[in-house]
Amino acid sequence: MSIDWITVAAQIANFLVLVWLLKRFLYRPILDGIDAREAEIASRMQEAVQARHKAEQAEAEYRQKLRSQQSQDADLSEAIRKAAEDKRDAILADAREQQERERALWLTQRDDEAREYAQKLHHVGAEALLSLTRKALGDLADDTLEARMAAQLIRKIGPMAADLRTAAGAAAGAVIYSHAPLPPGVTDRLTSGLAPLFPEVALEFRTDPEQAPGLVLRIGGAQVAWTLDSYIDGLEARVADRLTAAPEPGGPDHGQ
Amino acid sequence: MTLSPDQTILFELWGIPLNATLFYTWVVMAFLTIVSLLITRNLRPDVPPNRWRTTLEVIVQGIQSQIEEISRRPSRHLLYYVGTLFLFVATSNLLLVVPGFEPPTSSLSTTTALALSVLIAVPMFGVNSRGVGGYLKTYLEPSVIMLPFNIISEFSRGISLAIRLYGNIMSGAVIAVILLGVAPFFFPVVLDLLGLLTGMIQAYIFAILATVYISTATTPSRPTQTQKDSQ
Repeated sequence: MSIDWITVAAQIANFLVLVWLLKRFLYRPILDGIDAREAEIASRMQEAVQARHKAEQAEAEYRQKLRSQQSQDADLSEAIRKAAEDKRDAILADAREQQERERALWLTQRDDEAREYAQKLHHVGAEALLSLTRKALGDLADDTLEARMAAQLIRKIGPMAADLRTAAGAAAGAVIYSHAPLPPGVTDRLTSGLAPLFPEVALEFRTDPEQAPGLVLRIGGAQVAWTLDSYIDGLEARVADRLTAAPEPGGPDHGQ
Repeated sequence: MTLSPDQTILFELWGIPLNATLFYTWVVMAFLTIVSLLITRNLRPDVPPNRWRTTLEVIVQGIQSQIEEISRRPSRHLLYYVGTLFLFVATSNLLLVVPGFEPPTSSLSTTTALALSVLIAVPMFGVNSRGVGGYLKTYLEPSVIMLPFNIISEFSRGISLAIRLYGNIMSGAVIAVILLGVAPFFFPVVLDLLGLLTGMIQAYIFAILATVYISTATTPSRPTQTQKDSQ
């Protein structure tokens, strides 16, 4: 075991050369590469942080827009709902108004129809009553209706003749109205019957188709009448009572 | 039996005899340089790292982290020096598996040269770090009486480094030669594996000790009791 000092010196020189060679071809490229990569990674991380920051800003803006849009949607929905309610109310009001109008029209028509029906009933009832009365009088008493009406009128005027003369005052004539022309016998009977009661009054006979069957005496401002109206009114009242009285359910009429 | 490759003269160059130590040292130097050159020639930021580059980066960064753990001060000059020490010793010992190769670290001249380089590097790094006055002052610590002991300690470090590395590598070679005579077909394989292991351990220990010595010289010393009292 010996030390060759020449070899030692050469090895020291070799080692220093190797240090330089490795520094030139190994350490510097490797460390520079690592530093460059670290710088690149740091740069990319910085870019990533910036990108994340931008993304967060974009997200915040998007959320803000979304909230604004939702608020607008809510306002719009509220406005639409309000408009729909107003429209519904208007349509309902129109419908109610239309219904009221139709109901009023229907009531008017019903009243007209009722009135027309009453008039028809009145007319038909009067004619039927007149015809039946005339027939009954002819069959049973061998008398005419006009003659019995004249007699009734004369009998009715008798107790009130003084009042009628007072009411007539200075009237020179009296008029007897009838629904149809009176037979000559009836006019003579009336003339003769009323002459004692009103000796200074001229009697005149006229017809009025609008008048109910019967006789009406008009003298001055006074009037005495006997017509079938009261009978017709009684007939109408009885018919109305029978119509308004609803038949009981399960009753004998209903069951049959 | 030849214990040192210094005694093996391979050829003469311009009349100068070249022994095996120098020749195989150049082989190791050429191997390390060429491998480094091949791996780092396409080393650019835009080229993705391959497995060889990654391996080199792991080695270099491993050396750097070890140095920083010991010295607590990152220094590229220390990396160049200690890293080269480690790679040279480790490569020399690893190439032991190549038939016919004689590791230059089995020469006492080589280990002495490496120890001397450490012996020179310690004051150079110390002066570079603390200045001439600051470094020389470390020899007077903790008191002037310690000056001869500090000087002896400084030289004994280099000697111990050289003897330790040489002894380990040479002993492996000597044991191999002896055992080859006993069982020539079995022991060479086991001894080669053992040599690889001890070679790597020795490279690591040598580099670590060099780092410790240099770090001791470059790290500011703790204030003495006298300095504390004066403060």
